[in-house]
Amino acid sequence: MHKIAEVEVQHDIMVANRKLARKNQRLFDKNHVFSVDVVGAIGSGKTSLIEALIDAMNYKIGVIAGDVISKYDAGRFENHDVPVVGLNTGKECHLDAHLVEHALHDLPLDEIDILFIENVGNLICPVDFDLGSHMRMVVISVTEGDDTVEKHPLIFQDADLVVINKVDLADAVGADSDKMVNDVKEINPDVQVIKTSLKTGTGFDEVTLAIDGFINDY
Amino acid sequence: MHELSMAQAIVDTVLDAAKKNNAEEIVEVTIEIGMLTMLNPEQLTFLLDVLAEGTLLENAKIIIEDVPVEINCRNCQYTGLANTDDSDHYLAIVLCPQCGGRDVETLTGKECAVKKIKIEKSDEDA
Repeated sequence: MHKIAEVEVQHDIMVANRKLARKNQRLFDKNHVFSVDVVGAIGSGKTSLIEALIDAMNYKIGVIAGDVISKYDAGRFENHDVPVVGLNTGKECHLDAHLVEHALHDLPLDEIDILFIENVGNLICPVDFDLGSHMRMVVISVTEGDDTVEKHPLIFQDADLVVINKVDLADAVGADSDKMVNDVKEINPDVQVIKTSLKTGTGFDEVTLAIDGFINDY
Repeated sequence: MHELSMAQAIVDTVLDAAKKNNAEEIVEVTIEIGMLTMLNPEQLTFLLDVLAEGTLLENAKIIIEDVPVEINCRNCQYTGLANTDDSDHYLAIVLCPQCGGRDVETLTGKECAVKKIKIEKSDEDA
């Protein structure tokens, strides 16, 4: 004889990730590491921005380079003489707290002041996955088109800092960078939005100051 | 596209619960998906079907329940359902229905949970 039974499971996969994220954050806090989740579009300049921050900021910096194939970016960071762990996500489009937890085992956390976690270039999937970082910086550029923000609002809703890069190319690609700033403000009124060009140096000092501000508040 | 990893996590969770309860077959699975997650229910269902093949889950009916967005407004202290632009499920922007503000704490809407399963088991096992 067979019977049908109902079993309450109540297991939330997102909660499982968030729990791991909190665990990561406790590990950061224990080691006095300020962690920054760097998310953004493909080719928006995330790696270049982190490279410039490594060179400019007066902190001991470490990097987790997450990518579908991470060796390229990881290699770039290694050239700056900082501890780096490459995280291959393979077919996955985002980092999650579990992957980051693994990477943390391979970093000398007691020798790091700021840990940049470069997420996979993607404005959609990383939204769902808290990594346990202290702040999230979203990097986009004018070359993706000035409708990028309105097409991907959720990633901006939880952003702590937004960088709009390559503004020197705005005219060439017919993008209105002010519109992009306004679109971000529409979604997240209090967030600081900085227009930068890593090529000309425009706005870069503001980014370092903004991150400094978050570290001081931490 | 992270539906595959989420689908795999759901399948693992369901099979684990089924095993613990000595299920011989899984008849039905109820999954809750928050309206603020970047998950497409159709893709998720498709992938669950693929991953279920050859498991106890193979013939189960998959029910996906949307979880609406509830907020706590930091501006006017309203607590309850949010105004979301439902013209596009995946781009829901959360607004306070009372003051129109966007400075809100999201209470629900980010779920991806296995709520319950219906299983078939032998009577002697009861």
